[in-house]
Amino acid sequence: MEQEREAQVRVDPARCQGHNRCVALCPEVFDTDDLGYAVVTKPVVGADLMSEVRLAEENCPERAITVTRA
Amino acid sequence: MTRSDSGGGADIRELARTFTHHDEGLDVAFDVYAELREHCPVGFSEEYGGFWFVTRFDDIHRIEQDPETFAVAPGMLLPPMGRDRPGIPIDVDPPMHPKYRRIALPAFTPREIDSMEPMVRRVASELLDEMGDDHEADASKGFAVPLPMRVFCELAGFPLEDSERLEDWVNRIFYVRTHDYADTERAAAETCAYLAEKFDARRSDPPGDDLLGRLVRAEVDGRSLTDEELVDYGFVLLTAGLDTTSWVIRSSLWHLAQHPEDRAALAASPELVATAVEEFLRCLSSVQAMARTVTRDTELDGRRLRKGDRVLIVFGAGNRDEARFADGDRVVVDRQPNPHMAFGVGIHRCLGSNLARRELRIGLEAFLARHPEFSLAPGPAPPWHGIGPLPLILGPAKR
Repeated sequence: MEQEREAQVRVDPARCQGHNRCVALCPEVFDTDDLGYAVVTKPVVGADLMSEVRLAEENCPERAITVTRA
Repeated sequence: MTRSDSGGGADIRELARTFTHHDEGLDVAFDVYAELREHCPVGFSEEYGGFWFVTRFDDIHRIEQDPETFAVAPGMLLPPMGRDRPGIPIDVDPPMHPKYRRIALPAFTPREIDSMEPMVRRVASELLDEMGDDHEADASKGFAVPLPMRVFCELAGFPLEDSERLEDWVNRIFYVRTHDYADTERAAAETCAYLAEKFDARRSDPPGDDLLGRLVRAEVDGRSLTDEELVDYGFVLLTAGLDTTSWVIRSSLWHLAQHPEDRAALAASPELVATAVEEFLRCLSSVQAMARTVTRDTELDGRRLRKGDRVLIVFGAGNRDEARFADGDRVVVDRQPNPHMAFGVGIHRCLGSNLARRELRIGLEAFLARHPEFSLAPGPAPPWHGIGPLPLILGPAKR
């Protein structure tokens, strides 16, 4: 199977409720705004951060994060 | 223990009819949840004036994403907390809800919580000093209960001498309401009078950045909050973060005292505590359930819910749903992924969840650093739930 090289990371602002699980799990890619809602600071990630962004995606209680192959 | 007799119709109907998420219901909660998820995922209890309960993860998640059909008014707590007015923001629906909520949100961002971390560490360390290295100690009274109280007093600018009163009020508001509601009403009234006094004093000072100051300076729809709104908001901030956090610190220690392998793993690798905290929240959380009100006739798992019906979403049951969490009844301290709903999901996600998580992590890290070995003291087994005594033997168990 082909290795995942790059992926696009998105947070759906309509779903994010500010749990901040993603920020705790992958601060390299996620941050928060002044109200504590998630923002993506690094929208394209490589293999080095793939497992962390996947973890953030799977742990989001609102299912607000999507990680798609670029 | 076999449960071969409880799959049948009559038993499960009785289990549903008498279902409660309080008091003695908590002793057997996890077995009852398993039965209900399997045989009666949505059912009707006759307790507290009658309510539907919802026990499966996906149903709860769906309800939480549909606040138009499942409103919070007149209140999220069942039974209520001794007041006729709604708590702000938790008992308020849109369109006012987000306006109120954004007042306090900036106080609880990860960055804000980072700035509180040294204070939380200091409080934890002070409490551990006070508790000493006695052979036997009540880790609930000595640590789990006072930690969130002292942190809250610091954040709100309340004198520490008030903590005894605050503790008494919160106890009577949360743990007495099921059997002596008049006492809960008295405690709520006393709490509100106290808060009104604090807000008055805050108005004459130049209001700073602490919690009360934020509320005094806040505007909604271009106006300041009324005296009543200030108290409605202060009441929620005060009651929401004390015993709830204490409970989970206590229940985490309760688990670790009985699982030396987990305790040793976390003591040896403090960086694992953050992951373990999510698991303690999933399995042993204080907020087992919250109520909603149906705003229009709807259907759930084949049950017809009518406008005005009360619905209890049982997070504690959903969080152990095997359909979502393999081996859901087992505490797995390094469980990943763990997208639990201990703080709720949807627009009413617990406002203070970041602070609660930080207190839990720092509290457990500090406790384990000071006492890498501890176990339950001999005597009757303490319950998993509540904020009652947790007598521990600190240090290697003596036989």
